[in-house]
This record gives sequence, C-alpha cells and structure tokens, in this order.
Amino acid sequence: MTSAAVEGLARAAGLVLSPDELQALAPVVARTLEMLERLEWLPLASAEPATQYRVL
Amino acid sequence: MSPVVTQGELVWATAVDLARLIAGKDVSPVEAVRAQLDRIAALDAGLSAFITVCEEGALEAAREAEQTVMAGGPLGPLHGVPVGLKDLFDTRGVLTTGGARKILGARIPEADATVVARLRAAGAIVLGKLNMHEFAYGPEGLNDHYGHARNPWDPLVHRIAGGSSSGSGVAVAAGLCPIALGSDTGGSIRIPASLCGITGLKPTYGRASRTGVMPLAWSMDHVGPMTRSAADAALVLSLMAGYDPADPSTSVLPVPHYPAALTGTITGLRVGVLSADFLEAAAPAVQDAVRAALRLFEQLGAVVDEVRLESMEHVPVAAAAIVASEAFAYHAPWLRRQPGDYQRDVCERLRLGAFISGPHYVRAQQFRVVVRDEVNRLLARRDVLVAPSTPITATPVGQVQVSIGTTPSDVRGALLSFTRPFNLSGHPVCSIPCGFSSEGLPIGLQIIGRPFDEAAILRVADTFQRATDWHTRKPSAVAAAPPLDPARTVGGAPRHD
Repeated sequence: MTSAAVEGLARAAGLVLSPDELQALAPVVARTLEMLERLEWLPLASAEPATQYRVL
Repeated sequence: MSPVVTQGELVWATAVDLARLIAGKDVSPVEAVRAQLDRIAALDAGLSAFITVCEEGALEAAREAEQTVMAGGPLGPLHGVPVGLKDLFDTRGVLTTGGARKILGARIPEADATVVARLRAAGAIVLGKLNMHEFAYGPEGLNDHYGHARNPWDPLVHRIAGGSSSGSGVAVAAGLCPIALGSDTGGSIRIPASLCGITGLKPTYGRASRTGVMPLAWSMDHVGPMTRSAADAALVLSLMAGYDPADPSTSVLPVPHYPAALTGTITGLRVGVLSADFLEAAAPAVQDAVRAALRLFEQLGAVVDEVRLESMEHVPVAAAAIVASEAFAYHAPWLRRQPGDYQRDVCERLRLGAFISGPHYVRAQQFRVVVRDEVNRLLARRDVLVAPSTPITATPVGQVQVSIGTTPSDVRGALLSFTRPFNLSGHPVCSIPCGFSSEGLPIGLQIIGRPFDEAAILRVADTFQRATDWHTRKPSAVAAAPPLDPARTVGGAPRHD
C-alpha cells in the first residue's frame, strides 16, 4: 500500500496525519495488511465468526 | 495496633489472613487501611503506582467497618480489606481516567463498576485508583501523564512494571495493597503479574462482568484479580464473578466457591507443556525457571507431556486486527478531534484500526474460533496447559529491543507473545511467580484451564505455592519501606481525594 493510499484512507476515516506521522504509519499499515492477507489462505469458510448477535 | 501484628506484617498480609484477623478483632479495619495509606505516602512518589489515593473515603469506610465488627454485625468475606483498582474501573464519585489525563482527566463516574460494587458488598475498602498504560493499550505499562509505574524489584534501574495494569502489579508487589483489580485484553493482568512477581488471574471470557469498565476491545477484554497468592485470587474471583444482566457477555453458569477447590494436591493431574513457540522461545533464565517448575509438578504427582499450538503463527495479526478495530471504533471521536492529547505510542496504535477492513475483522474473528478449538482439543486429554507468562523479565523503561537468547525482538511484541493467544481463545489463565533471573527479576508461569474451570488452575497454582516460596518473596528495595529515591524515577506524585 502506498503512502498516498494510506493518506487517503486516513482522510476518509477523519484522521489528519502530519507528513512525519504518515511516513511512520504507512509501513506499519502495509505490513499489517500483508499479514492479514495470509488469513485469507486459511480454511476458514465454515468457521462462524466469534462475534455473534444474541437476541437474548 | 494489635500486639500480635506489627504494621510491617500487616501490609504484607494476604487478603485471606487480613480478613481473618479483622473478623477475629485482632486487627481493626482502620489499622489495616491506615497502614496501607502510610506505606503509600512513604513509597508511591518513587513507584507511581497510584493515580488517585482515596484517603478520606477509605478511612471513613474503615471506621464504619470497625463499628460493624465491634457491634457483632454481619461481615463479608473481605470485610475491612483494602483493595486497589486499575483506573479504568468506574468508581462512584471518584476520578476514573483510564490513564488519559488530557482526555478524561476530570471524569467522575456516577456509579461503581459491577465488580467494584460486588467487592464493596463483600466488605472491601477501595484505597485508590491505580496507574496503567494509557487506555490500557500497551504491555509495558507506561504512562506519560501520571509517570511510568516503576517495577519495585530493581532499586537502581527504572524498569517497566508490565502492562497495561502496571500500577496494579506494582501496588501488590510493593505491599501497597493486598488485592488489586486489573483488566486483560492481550495480557494486561498476566504481564505485570509476571514482571512484578505476583499472582494474576484472567478468568474465562464471560466469567466476570465488564460493566463500568472502560473498554479497549469488547470481544477481548477480561477483568480479574491481582494478588500475592492463588488463595487470595480464588477468594476475590468467587466474590466478583457471575452473571450481570448489564453485560451480555457474562455467563449464567453458577460461580463455584473457588477457595473450596484448593485441596493442595495435584496427584494424577495431566499437564501439557506448550513447548514450541512458548517455552523454547523464552529467554534462558525463563526456560530454566519454568523447567524447574515442571519438575516440581512431576514431584507433586502430575503427569507432564509436551504439546504444540499450531495456530500460533497467525495469532499476533489476528489479535492486533480485532483489538485495533474495536479500539478505533471506541476512540474515533477523540482521535479525530484531539489526537495530540494521547500519548504518542497509544495514538499510533489506535490509528492502525482505521485501516482494518470489515472483511479483515471478520476473518480474524473466524480465525479466533480455530484457536479456541485447538486449545480445547489440547485440553480434552489434559487438565491444564502451562507456559511461561512472558519470554523476558522486566526491561528498563525506554528499551525497545531485546535479545531472547540470540534472537532479536521488540520488547512490546515479546511481552504479548505468550499471553494473547488466550485472549483470542477466551480460556482462563493464572500467572504465578516461578523463579527469579540472575538480576533478581521475577519470572512468571501461566497455567491455562478449560473454559469456566478456574477451579482447576487455581488448585494447581495454590498447590505450587504451598511447595514454593517465590510468591512470598518481597522486593528488597521496599521490603522494609525505605522510600525509593524519586529523583531516579520517571513519575509523579499521586493525587488525593
């Protein structure tokens, strides 16, 4: 993910980042998303997510 | 002061012993509270364990408790026993900041958290509110606003207490209170328990109410006791646990009287040692202490085998995605309006949540079921699992990298690595001290149990503590209450009510 994309997503979320903050955050975001993508490879299709709505 | 108990003995008494002394009229609740307040006054400028000391309120409650004792009135199991609360538990009429002075520095709740109300109903007296990593979002236990709580085990170097319940760990370890409450989203009870040499219990998710407890991540947050013995943790959990209609996560399962489970025997107990990714990934001193504990378990009649948690590889990112997403949802208004009012590391961590998509969050919650099921499978043929609580001992404040054996790691990731799998899975875990490094720093052992089987892990912890003295050792720097040099401490004096 590019710094420009991180900046755009941050703006969409209502966050204002200084250039220094953006520079520090961008690689962390990229690394985290890369690791999250690995969860896509796991056979999770039949796993009900842990968070469920309970009416009672 | 009672002729049979000195003030020095009083501040190191366990909650069980203190309650017995008070009920037997050997010690007055006023004496017990006064002794702790005097000790806080003498030591806390150097420890930064407290954010607020409830001196007047505690003494008033103690006087009322004394009158009840003298009148022969009904006494709760914790009648007159002082307790400290991490500063994210709501307390009626008392400042509750979440460690965030610039954002919530004037917040005074109108009601007690459910667990606080239950402890008060059992006779406990609230001494004050304890320091913490800002908004509970950090395993080091640092706080730029109220000072970094200081680990009492090193009189020369200002080391981290572990977090986020850092003040709770320090206060109990330094004899400022016999009981504290903490919260645990990735290890925030067990990490300071490990680094400060005390007992910390993260109950099963849903065992204790979080109503009136400031959230970090609703689906991962747990609350529990931090004490100097497993017996005290058992007593406190018995009193604070149970269904709360205001907290939909709480279970309707009945709460056992946990002290009755402390039989002192583990003969035939089946213990699975989390070896790869846990024991083998810890620092040599930690490995040595845990292996010695395993030998003792065997001597006590347990049957020990090695197990592996295969899903460990993806635990860090799944836990981070869930916590960051939920925390961002809670903090977004402040992050947009006043980001500069957070301490820097917390702000950076919270902002990450803006970049976790809905599908990512759901995928992480799906993965969580995999971890839960795997831990349940390991426990199907074993009574408990054990592992080091943390791979390292307390590091100096400001140190961000550490070598574990020859492997470099960042301190934050290392601190969380062994604890957060069980926030994902929701299993109950008790951390107890099991040794010390050559530098004199405590080492913690985690005991993991089946869902809602806190009785088993407390029995194991208590049996271990009957056979060892790690949990009774006191930090030499504060054992006899000499004030630490505040000039050596990055901290500030506590506020008083």
